[in-house]
Amino acid sequence: MGRSLKKGPYVDEKLFRKVEKMSQATRKTPIRTWARACTVVPEFVGYTFQVHNGRTFFDVFCTEDMVGHRLGEFSPTRTFRGHTNKKEGIEAGQKG
Amino acid sequence: MPRIAGIDIPEKKKIRYGLRYIFGIGPKLADDVLAKAGIDGERRATDLTDQEIAQIASIIDGSYIVEGALRRQVQQDIQRLKDIRSYRGDRHRRGLPVRGQRTRCNARTRKGKKKTVAGKKGVKG
Repeated sequence: MGRSLKKGPYVDEKLFRKVEKMSQATRKTPIRTWARACTVVPEFVGYTFQVHNGRTFFDVFCTEDMVGHRLGEFSPTRTFRGHTNKKEGIEAGQKG
Repeated sequence: MPRIAGIDIPEKKKIRYGLRYIFGIGPKLADDVLAKAGIDGERRATDLTDQEIAQIASIIDGSYIVEGALRRQVQQDIQRLKDIRSYRGDRHRRGLPVRGQRTRCNARTRKGKKKTVAGKKGVKG
């Protein structure tokens, strides 16, 4: 079920403040965050976030198309390297 | 044979059911279109005058996305998900269910026919 429009999009306040601060600074550095549930708002476009996936920080560069999605959608939490191929006896790891 | 929105030729059926043969027109839109045109949906497609057919066609062309254009739009939406490297795009790419369904068993619509793995329990290699 979608989120109520009345509330507006969920944006992590701390993260938003950080982005605002960054927009005044000249240099853009990646922002580390754990806020996977935070919605990408237009202000985020052009920034790189390092979104935690439970183990490491995954680089996410925000583009215009990503607006409305959550940050977590771009930071995969699972590693699937494929099933073992019995004949070859090696891992089929095309999709790392 | 009446032709509406390109290639679609529904006949002999009541028009409100015939319209559903158009990709992108379901039960609701079929009735909506007929209400807008002021045509009784219980009439058969053959009984409609050319003028009425043209009226239906122009309403559909004017206000709804159907057939090829709709198919293209759906593809574009999926392509967009893939391009932004989102989780949903990834699921489309891998041909797995997109909306969080289980994949331990079932999910055959997305995964296709069963691929039996030799050596697994219950299968004689």
